[in-house]
Amino acid sequence: MIQNLVDGFLVGSILSLGAIGLTMAMHMLRFANFSHAELLSIGAYVALVFDGLFSAIYPALAGAIAPLSLTWALSLSILISMAITGISAILIDRLVFKRVRAKGGELSMVFASFGVAMILRNILGLIFGLDPKLYSQDIVFAIVVSRDPFLLVKPDQVFTLIAALLIMFILHLVLSRTTFGYSLRAVAENPTLAQVSGINLSRMIVLIWLIGGGLAAAAGVFYGLTNQINPVLGRDLVLPIFAATIVGGIGSIYGAVLGGFLVGLASNLALVILPSGYSPAVPFLIILAVLLIRPHGLFGEERA
Amino acid sequence: MIGVISYLVFFATVASILSIAVLGLNLQWGNTGLFNGGVVAFFGAGAYGTLLLGSASQDGLLGGFGLPYLLALFGGMMIAGIVAWIVGLLTLRLRHDYLAIATFGVAVAFENLVRNADLLGGAQGIRGFERPLRDTFGNGFTYNLLFFVFVLILLVLTYVFLERLIASPFGRLLRAIREDETAAQSLGKSPSRVRLTAFIAGSVIMGLAGGLYATFYAFISPQDVLPILTFQIWAMLIVGGAGNNKGAVMGTFLIWAAWTASGWALSRFAPLEVQLYTGSIQFVLIGFVIVGMLLWRPQGLFPEKLVVSQSAKTGG
Amino acid sequence: MNGLKTSALAIGAALAFASFGTEAAAQECTTKIGAVLPTSVDWGKPIAATAQYAVDLANEAGGVAGCEIEMVLRDTQVDPKVGVDAAKALVDLDGVQLLLGAVSSGVSMPILTSVTVPAGVMQMSCCSSSTAFTALSEEGKTNGLFYRTFATSGVQAAVGAMVARDEGYESVAVFYKNDDWGQDIGGLVAKDLEALGIEVTASIAINDAQASYRAEVTEALKGNPQAIYMALYPKEGTQVVREWISLGGTQEMIAANALKSDEFKENVGMQFLGNFTGTDTASPRTDSASAFVDAYTTRFDGPPNGPGLANSYDATMIALLAIHAAGEGATGADIAAKIGSVTDPDGTPVSADAEGFAAAKEVLDGGGTVSYQGATGNVLFDANGDVSAPAVTWVFSESGIDEKQYISLTEVNDFMASMQ
Repeated sequence: MIQNLVDGFLVGSILSLGAIGLTMAMHMLRFANFSHAELLSIGAYVALVFDGLFSAIYPALAGAIAPLSLTWALSLSILISMAITGISAILIDRLVFKRVRAKGGELSMVFASFGVAMILRNILGLIFGLDPKLYSQDIVFAIVVSRDPFLLVKPDQVFTLIAALLIMFILHLVLSRTTFGYSLRAVAENPTLAQVSGINLSRMIVLIWLIGGGLAAAAGVFYGLTNQINPVLGRDLVLPIFAATIVGGIGSIYGAVLGGFLVGLASNLALVILPSGYSPAVPFLIILAVLLIRPHGLFGEERA
Repeated sequence: MIGVISYLVFFATVASILSIAVLGLNLQWGNTGLFNGGVVAFFGAGAYGTLLLGSASQDGLLGGFGLPYLLALFGGMMIAGIVAWIVGLLTLRLRHDYLAIATFGVAVAFENLVRNADLLGGAQGIRGFERPLRDTFGNGFTYNLLFFVFVLILLVLTYVFLERLIASPFGRLLRAIREDETAAQSLGKSPSRVRLTAFIAGSVIMGLAGGLYATFYAFISPQDVLPILTFQIWAMLIVGGAGNNKGAVMGTFLIWAAWTASGWALSRFAPLEVQLYTGSIQFVLIGFVIVGMLLWRPQGLFPEKLVVSQSAKTGG
Repeated sequence: MNGLKTSALAIGAALAFASFGTEAAAQECTTKIGAVLPTSVDWGKPIAATAQYAVDLANEAGGVAGCEIEMVLRDTQVDPKVGVDAAKALVDLDGVQLLLGAVSSGVSMPILTSVTVPAGVMQMSCCSSSTAFTALSEEGKTNGLFYRTFATSGVQAAVGAMVARDEGYESVAVFYKNDDWGQDIGGLVAKDLEALGIEVTASIAINDAQASYRAEVTEALKGNPQAIYMALYPKEGTQVVREWISLGGTQEMIAANALKSDEFKENVGMQFLGNFTGTDTASPRTDSASAFVDAYTTRFDGPPNGPGLANSYDATMIALLAIHAAGEGATGADIAAKIGSVTDPDGTPVSADAEGFAAAKEVLDGGGTVSYQGATGNVLFDANGDVSAPAVTWVFSESGIDEKQYISLTEVNDFMASMQ
C-alpha cells in the first residue's frame, strides 16, 4: 500500500504539469481545451527528434546520466522541445481558436479543440508511425528503498518528480514575485479591469499558451521517459489531466498541482479496492466524489 | 443501381437512429442548457436493456425474459430513464463544464461495467435476439427497407413530440430556466425539478436510439459504447445547430455522411501507396471538416429560432 | 435552406461517383474483394499490408478465375458502426462477394449479422476470437459463410499451462488484455493452471489506452509469483514487461502468440528475455514454410512476426484459392462452399507462396482438391469455420524468433482431456 502511495506521487507529477497549462487555458480563455493533451505528445516527439539529432552529431552526449536512463542529449532536447511546443500552442491558437473565439461560443471552442486534437494526433501518427518508441531501450532497475515495508522506486521517476516540482516552484516564484506574474493573476481574476490598468491582454494570452505548452512538453517527455512514446500518448492522458484540473478547481494553478497528485494517488490506490478491469473509471469516480462535496473543485471559485 | 439504393437505405437507417439520439441531446442542451458529456451511457443503457429484456434466457447472462420486441424496446428506454434519474440527481446541480466531465465519467464507468461484468456479456458482448419479424420478411433488401421505414416513423414521432414540447408551456419553462434561472424561481417554478425532467426525457430518447441500434445490428458490445460515440453525437448537434430540431437531424446526416464518405473516397481515389495510411488520413480529414464547420458557421447550419413573445408584438 | 441544398448536392455527387465506379468495372476483368481492417491502429496496419501482399502474389501467379484481384481496403477505426457501414459499401457499391475482416470480434459480429449473411457474401476473418461465432454457427445462423484462420484459444491456453508445468513453475500471475480475446484466453489459462495444481496468484486485466500500468504491475508483484503469463499485444505488453522487470519481477515468462513480435523483443531487450517462452499454432514441417518466411522478409524487411500477420496471409490466400475453385461470377455462398476443396487433408499439398498458389490453381482447374499448407499451419476448418491446429512453443534469440518444441494436435487434445 505504501508502494501504491509512492507510485501515485511519481505518476501524479506528470499529471500536475499537464494540468497547469490546461487550467490556465480553461480559466482565461473560457473553454475546455481537449487538444491540450496533444501538446504532451508533440513535446515528447520533438524531444525524440532532437535527442536523436544531438546523439548523432555529438556522440558524447548520448551517454546516460547515471543512475537514470536520461541522456545529456535528452536533457538539452527537453528545453528545446518546451520552446517549440509552446510556439506550436501559440500557432494553433492563432490559426483556430482565436478565430472560433471571435465567431462562436464556448461550445464551438470545445468542439474545435476536439477536431484539432484529432488532426494533431493523426498527423503525428503519419509522420512518426503508429508503433511505440522509446528514448532509451535500457531498462533501469528500480532501487529498493526499504525492505519492510517493501518499497521500490525507479530513479527516472524520482528525477521526474524532482524536475516537475522544480518547474512548478519556478512558476510559483514567477507568479508571486514578478510583474508578469501579477499581470497574469490580474488577468485571471478580472480581464476587463486588468486591461484598463494597461495590461496587454493578447500578449498575456500568448504567454499563457507559451507556458502551458512548455509545461506540457516537459510532462510529455517525462511520461515518455518513464513509459513509452506513441501517437495516442495525449489521448490516453487527456482524461486523467482533466480530472486533475477539475479536482483542483478550474483556474487555480495550485489546485491543478494538488489535483494531479490526488488523481495519481487515487489511480494507484484504486487497485487495492477495485478489480483491475475497472482502473479507467477511477479518475472519474474521484471527480464525482470531489464534486459532490465541493462543486467547484478544491480551490475553484464561482465563475463571474 | 440497386446496390446504390440498398446502401443508401442502410446509411439512412443508421443516420436516422443516430438522429434520434441527437434529438434527445438537443432537448438536454439546446433547450435546457445541460451539457451532457455522457450521452453514450444512456444510449448504451437503452441498447443493453433492449437486448437483455428481449432475448431468451441464456446462461450467465442477466435478463433473458424473452419479452416481445416493442416491450423490450420500451423497457430499454425505461432503463435509460432510470439511469438518467440517478445520474441527474447526483450531478445536475454542477456548473456546466463540471457537469460535462461528471457525466463523461459516468459513461466511462458504464463502459467499464459492461466490459468487466460477465453478467452483462463482458468484452464479448451480447447477441440477444434476431431482428424482429426477420422470418416473415427474409433478410434482404425488403427487410432493410421496412426496418428503415420503422425507424423513420419513430424519428418523425420523436421530432413531432419534441417540436410540440418546445411550443408548449413546458418548453417555455425550459427556455426561461435556461435564460434566467433566478427569475423563473421567483415565479415559483422549481428549476432543478424541471431540469431533471428534461434530462430524463432526453435520456429516454437516447435510450430509444440505443435500442434501435442494438436491434439493427442484432448485437451490442462494449466497443459500441466508447467515448467516440458521445463525440460524434455532439458534433452532429453542433454542426447542425443546437436548439433547432431540424438542425439536429440535418447535422446528423451531414456528419455521418462526411464520416463514411471520407473513408469511401479515400479507398476509391487515394493512390495505392497510401492506402495503408488512409485510416489516419481519414481522421485528419474529419478533424478538418469539424474545425472548418466551426470556423465557417459556429452557430450551426440551422441556428436556434429565437422565440419572441407574442405579447411584445401585439403590445404598444 | 442552405443545409438542405448542401446535403442534396452531396447525395447527388455520391450517386454520380458510384455509377462511375460500376461502369469502369465492367470493362476490364478485375474481381474486387473487400477488406475491412483497422488500419489506423498500430497492429492493424501490418495485417492489412500482409493481406495486400497475398493479393499481389496471387496476381503475380495470374490472378484467380481468369481475372486480376483488386482488394478494396477500408478502415474500421475499431468502431462497429463505421466498420459495418464500410462493409455495406463494399458489398453494395463495389459488389464484392468476399469480405476479409474484421479484426475485433466486436466489429466482425455486427458485420456478419447485418451485412454479410443477409447479402450472401462470404466473410473470412484473420483474427476475431470470440466464441460467439462458434455459437452462432452452431445455431445455423451463419449459413456457412463465416470462416476464420484464428485458432481457438483453448489450444493456446492449454499449451501455456503445459509450458508452466514443464518448467516446474508453482505459482503464476496472469496478465490479460481486457478485450474479448484476452478475457477468454486469460480465463482459460487460469483454469488450466489450477487444474494442474499451479497457483494463480493474480489475474490482472490490462485495459487498452491506459497511461500507466504501474499499479497493475505492483498488484501482481504482491503475490510474488514464480512466473508470469501474458495474453497481451506488443504495445501494452512492452509497457507491462518493462515496468515488471524494472521493479525486479521474475524474468520467467510465458506468453500467447500476440507477443511474437520483433518490436517487443527490441524494446524489452534480449538480456531479459532468456527465460521467455511463447506459444503459437504450428506452421507445417515443410521447406515451403521457410520459403514463405523468406519471401515475406524480403518484401517487408523483416519476418512475419507480429499479431495476426500469418493469420491474415492465410485468410487471404485460402479465400482467393476458393474464388478460383468457384469460378468466374461466383457468389459468396459458392466461394464458401469451395473452402473445403482448398483445405482438404487428402488433397495435394501446396505451399504458401506464389509457386504454391500457381500449383494449387492447376490442381483445382483439373478438378482436384488441394491441402493448403499455410503460414499458420496445415489449415483445417471445422463445421463452424473454426480452426484447430497443432501448437508450437517458441523463444526469442539474437537472430529472431526460434521454435522450441512442436506439439501435435493429438498431444494437445490428450493433454486437454487429462485436465478435465
